[in-house]
Amino acid sequence: MGSARANTALAEAIASVEGRFGTHVLAHGAIAERQAAERRIQLGGSLDAQTPGLGSGAPLAFVGGGSAGKVALAHRAAAGAQRDGGTVLWIDPSATFDPLAALRAGVDLTRVFVVRAKTRDDVLLAAGAALRSDGFRLAVVDTGPQLSPSRISIDDLAPLLPIVRSSPAGLLVISDTRAQRLAIPTFSFARVGWAARFGRTTGWTALVAERALFHFAALGADPRDLGTRGALIEKDLTA
Amino acid sequence: MKSYLAIAVPELAPRARILAALCAMLPRVGVADDGAFVCDLRGTERLLGAPLRVARNAISVCGASGGQSLSGGLGTTPFVARVAASRTPAGKVSEIPAGAERAFLDVLPLDVLPLDPKVIEELALLGVRRIGELLALPRGSVADRFGQSAAIACALATGELVEDVRGVAPRRRIRAKRIWDEPVDSRERLIFALRAAADELAEALRHDGLAALRLRLVLEREELLPLRLERSLLPPSAESAAIVRSLRWGLEEIPTLGLVTSAALEITAVEPARGRQIGLFAPDGAHAEEAISVAQFLRTRLGPAVVLQPRIVDADARLPERAAEWEEVVR
Repeated sequence: MGSARANTALAEAIASVEGRFGTHVLAHGAIAERQAAERRIQLGGSLDAQTPGLGSGAPLAFVGGGSAGKVALAHRAAAGAQRDGGTVLWIDPSATFDPLAALRAGVDLTRVFVVRAKTRDDVLLAAGAALRSDGFRLAVVDTGPQLSPSRISIDDLAPLLPIVRSSPAGLLVISDTRAQRLAIPTFSFARVGWAARFGRTTGWTALVAERALFHFAALGADPRDLGTRGALIEKDLTA
Repeated sequence: MKSYLAIAVPELAPRARILAALCAMLPRVGVADDGAFVCDLRGTERLLGAPLRVARNAISVCGASGGQSLSGGLGTTPFVARVAASRTPAGKVSEIPAGAERAFLDVLPLDVLPLDPKVIEELALLGVRRIGELLALPRGSVADRFGQSAAIACALATGELVEDVRGVAPRRRIRAKRIWDEPVDSRERLIFALRAAADELAEALRHDGLAALRLRLVLEREELLPLRLERSLLPPSAESAAIVRSLRWGLEEIPTLGLVTSAALEITAVEPARGRQIGLFAPDGAHAEEAISVAQFLRTRLGPAVVLQPRIVDADARLPERAAEWEEVVR
């Protein structure tokens, strides 16, 4: 009798917490940890070494100016999400998704659904549906270039945060500008050097999350991981 | 041996409950063209007892299920049993012994047989008004003059044609209901509360090897009319998560839910559950159907040419836009 009452009280407490913060927000600690470890999406050697990376139920933003390598690393994350058979939903309001670049980054195009949602509400609907279903490992929202006519701000995506926390999928947001009103883990991208040959730009080096350096080739080859800034400084000092 | 029991049911009787009661008691129960229930009692004597006893028990069980004014008939063929049941007073069972069928049928009018009223009229003009008189006519002439239906009617009356009793399982209602003392005031809390009901339905579906195709949710609300929500599950599924997801999508389209005091969730259409072929080394391959169903949902909401999949057609194309083609994920 007492145990039944305790179970009812616990169920009510769970209902109240989930009612406030979204369904699946509560999980048994051990199970949650194991699932999180199993479902970690690999981004790239140096970034994974420094941060927990992108996991199910976790939002992450790639933020930086144009041609800083955000999309190239997002392709890599998509390929990582597909590694064990997952499907990726790529929301692309500005219609800038480049299938060839994605293919070169190792993305399996048969397991990418590109949604050309045009308005903020459509973007929220598509991302919400993907995050609430069990069908996707990763939902990517590319807000597009700053000058794009169908510009969607990263701050517009606030309603997705409670949803992603209870989702089996991860959420990756690609944006040119930082969030102003949204607390979302962010990897900032900053160009630190250009590579030129015969007077033409052939690539650039970007510092990601102020730690990892990547070299991006202009013709869309897979980004080259140069290592972490700390490791490079240490290497310089020993040399 | 009297092998068939027929139970004549008045129009206003609770047919579903009577059928369920008969199915619980007897191995094969069918529904005849005239609406009577026909039970095949062949081979049940050792297990259930004499057919007359079974028939009386059946009448009393049906009476307990709300079927008043029922009558039973026992015969060697379903047709004879049906005719006997239809001519028996309520609450009684009449038995037509083997070999006495012709004597029983011969004196009955022709409208007992499945004959077109025009044929009956024509036969009456010829002075044929009873079954015995029809059966006395040469069989070939009857078939030539009145067609195949008359020949079939004769064969039924003589016992040469025995109707097949096709077992009909009573429609099982797979439903769950929740009533709350304190009204549920938010969508998320409602969905959480519905998860337990969906688990219950999923368990019932799995037990029967079925998958839900359509479901209905009825919400009783304070100071508002009840809300009925009909959803289709594509692909049909017996998984609780799929049921909850479909309900969530349906509920999200309703701007004001109000204060919900009770919810009745029912599976209204099912189909046999199918197995799914998934890749041996692709643990997430099992969720591919889920992804497709999301694409289907988005196409419904956002319109065509929005949910797309790229395909590389020429990786070396001089113009980047010619390298790939876009196809709809769901047409």
